[in-house]
Amino acid sequence: MKRVSTEVLVIGGGATGAGVLRDVAMRGFDAVLVDRADLGEGTTGRYHGLLHSGGRYVVKDPVSAKECIAENGVLRRIAGECIEDTGGMFVTTPLDDLEYAARFVAGCHATGVPVEEISVAEALRREPRLNPGLSRAFLVPDAAMDGWKTIWACVRSAQEHGARAFPYHPVDRILRDGDRVCGAVCRDEREGHDVTIEARFTINATGVWAGRLAELAGCPGVTVVPGKGIMIATNHRLVNTVVNRCELPGDGDIIVPIRTVSVIGTTDAEVDDPDELEITRDEVQEMLESGDRLVPGFSSSRQLRVWAGARPLFQDEKAAAGDTRDISRGLALVDHVQRDGVAGFITITGGKATTFRLMAEVAVDAMCEQLGEPRPCRTADEELPGDSPDGHYWLGSRLAGRERTMRDDQLICECELVPRRRLEEAIARQATDNLDDVRRVLRLGMGPCQGGFCIYRATGILHGERRLDGPGANASLLAFLQERWKGVQPILFGDQLRQARLDDWIFQGLLDVEHLPGDRPPEPRSREVSAILHASDQGAG
Amino acid sequence: MFDVVVVGGGLAGLSAALRLAQQGRRVAVVAKGLGATQLTGGTIDVLGYAPERVDNPRRRIPELVREQPDHPYARLDLDLVERSLSWFRSAVEPLRYAGGLDENVLLPSAAGAVRPTALAPASMSDGNLRRVPRLLIVGFRALKDFYPAYVADNLRHAGIEARASVLEANPRSGEADVSGLVYAAALDADAAFRRVLADELAAVVEPGETVGLPAVLGVDEAPAVWRELQERLGAPVFEIPTLPPSVPGRRVHRLLAAALRDAGGRMVVGAVAVGAETGNGRADALVVQDAARRRPYRAHSFVLATGGVASGGLELELDGTVREPVLDLPVAGMPDGAPFSPRYLDPQALAPVGLAVDEELRPVDADGRVVYENVYAAGAMLAAAEPWREKSGDGISLASGIRVTEAIVERLS
Repeated sequence: MKRVSTEVLVIGGGATGAGVLRDVAMRGFDAVLVDRADLGEGTTGRYHGLLHSGGRYVVKDPVSAKECIAENGVLRRIAGECIEDTGGMFVTTPLDDLEYAARFVAGCHATGVPVEEISVAEALRREPRLNPGLSRAFLVPDAAMDGWKTIWACVRSAQEHGARAFPYHPVDRILRDGDRVCGAVCRDEREGHDVTIEARFTINATGVWAGRLAELAGCPGVTVVPGKGIMIATNHRLVNTVVNRCELPGDGDIIVPIRTVSVIGTTDAEVDDPDELEITRDEVQEMLESGDRLVPGFSSSRQLRVWAGARPLFQDEKAAAGDTRDISRGLALVDHVQRDGVAGFITITGGKATTFRLMAEVAVDAMCEQLGEPRPCRTADEELPGDSPDGHYWLGSRLAGRERTMRDDQLICECELVPRRRLEEAIARQATDNLDDVRRVLRLGMGPCQGGFCIYRATGILHGERRLDGPGANASLLAFLQERWKGVQPILFGDQLRQARLDDWIFQGLLDVEHLPGDRPPEPRSREVSAILHASDQGAG
Repeated sequence: MFDVVVVGGGLAGLSAALRLAQQGRRVAVVAKGLGATQLTGGTIDVLGYAPERVDNPRRRIPELVREQPDHPYARLDLDLVERSLSWFRSAVEPLRYAGGLDENVLLPSAAGAVRPTALAPASMSDGNLRRVPRLLIVGFRALKDFYPAYVADNLRHAGIEARASVLEANPRSGEADVSGLVYAAALDADAAFRRVLADELAAVVEPGETVGLPAVLGVDEAPAVWRELQERLGAPVFEIPTLPPSVPGRRVHRLLAAALRDAGGRMVVGAVAVGAETGNGRADALVVQDAARRRPYRAHSFVLATGGVASGGLELELDGTVREPVLDLPVAGMPDGAPFSPRYLDPQALAPVGLAVDEELRPVDADGRVVYENVYAAGAMLAAAEPWREKSGDGISLASGIRVTEAIVERLS
């Protein structure tokens, strides 16, 4: 069995885990991160992409609002190219309680969320598709944040400080030495062998799966309630500002413009199993109808895909059963020395993508305290590494990059402007045969045609770059088509079904992929494989 | 006033219109776009899978009809299919389509699958894998829509001797990203580029090899381009169709459209049929929207060949209903349960939804009553097929296109 020795083992490769890895590495600890699947395959890769100003929480959860606005400022400073400074708007539609706006403004003042009321005419000038019946509009510093890019930037930063990240390493068991956790045994799924990771300290950053991991460490009863939220991406940007209804948080009341799409979210339903997130056509219809209230005609615009994520909502006794929205969104730190008498192990969960850096700081502070080695956090001071020095992402970033290489590089994915060189680099860097891993990094196949053209090309390129045999490449192709189908199938109607049918003609009719040599894609991963399970990817955007 | 107005410029619509024009009828084709023929690979698929691979469509189609009595082939007998294929071969004579119903040709797809089809143009026929040739699959560095090593690798796994090579030949030298249509246009027009391609090929081909290239060997001059390349090379050359827009599909479309014009037919592209004037169980006119205005097209008979969901001939609404948008014709085959299966390659419950028709291919309602006595339907909008899975789309489109002309001519005379 392979053995790895490190000071800190971080379990979970979402935003929180990546943030923790970066934090411990910057404080000078040797660190290793493991995830059961690819980085960002869980909740972070399935959120709507909103960098909260805090406006959403100013009335209901002022503590969260304060955390959000503080972190919003920090992330704008350090995570430039992961963020598009779209700005945000809260609008009172004809369906909203007129009284709420006053409470909203008071809440903003009380929590320090900058707010500026603008005229209805100005709001409609900025966002002409908004419901013309709106009565009030407020500007707040919401923004769009690319969850995958943020994770990758944190991991790269951590690697620059000596840390290592191992995706596709599900934890099989947690190692204990008496009352101490001293590492974990993982399965290296790509190489097909076990790896023992010995660590002085282990941080559980598995989010919605944190209760299961804590139980593996012999700390049962940590209750994290999965709150299922569905999101739908439209085929282009219906708004260029984050738009929220000025109301107490409800379903389908936010539209986030991110990259080439706009995403409407979300719902909130308590579910038993974060790996079983079913999406019904009724839920889709309700979400689209909610969209009509903010942007009339939303439901008849072309919808690209739908997916679901599971929020980690840390259970506290005050919460009313059944409605997870009333559970605190705040971060939850569990010190297992106090709770279970187990040392060398803490759990950080709850929270939201916007506060991932703060969560990491809180967790690593607690670790340092337990180790008796106070070292200051530096993650808010140093910028994340990026590809461009141009500051924030903007909608034209990719096109501008593409224009520089028009003549000497091929455009593999026309929808998301992915050139061949970047695809080859991503395949090499990730050392993956999985086109879905590449998708998360490059947005390959995420545009309007949903991979109809680029996935054949990407398969041909993958076949060459990875020296796969035919059946190996076919497996990648078919697995990608199956993953894509999961994300589009619940939302197929109108023009998007038309597109999907064109893709059927290409893949089944023309290329006859059904009869390629090799095995058919496996059934969705068995849930008995490991203790930390991975959510079936719904084709997140 | 026309004898017949055909809606849709794909294989079914153009074939029906051309056949009628050849018989002296006054015909107009109203087409929203350039027709789905330009999205397909240019082969004529009659029945490739049912669901096992079909070697002999003549034997398998009658069995299929017994198993699936609603299948479009239940209304399109073998004689008709055969007549339609031979009519098509003469209509696009320069492309010299070969094959038939007795044995499907097996051609490599651009992914390297062994794909059955009934008719293929001469420029593809040497790729017939039944003859188990030794293959050299060749791509172009600048063409991103064809991956010869991937194709060859899959063919080897199917037991076929194949290797791959990539050529530098590029009609836009210095550019990394050149489309198949640009290659085709250059091969049509540029003798020097044809020589460059032949010379580069000659340097890599070994004796006894048959050369497979992406299907970009010219559009209007395709037969000459292909012949010239083979002569220069001294080796058989065949084309493999790849991603749309399809060069071989374009050849077919252009030949059919030119023949229609030559035969006196009218073709209006960019015009959308949006409704009809009807009464007494008949359609009197179709209301057509073009760029500037909306106006009626009057005719004795109307052929709807607007395609399936992919072409907009059928639409699935958010509430789960399927509509035929021109005449709001009744739609058959709606599944009771979920419209889609969670697994991509499974049969999809919604797929066979379409128009049910009588013997003459006139749409009927749920009780089997003809909706309009002078409205006919042809092509991918017919119910009860999954043509992209069955590899049956071209056979259904051609035979139904020809069948409606026979029914119409019988009634007109």
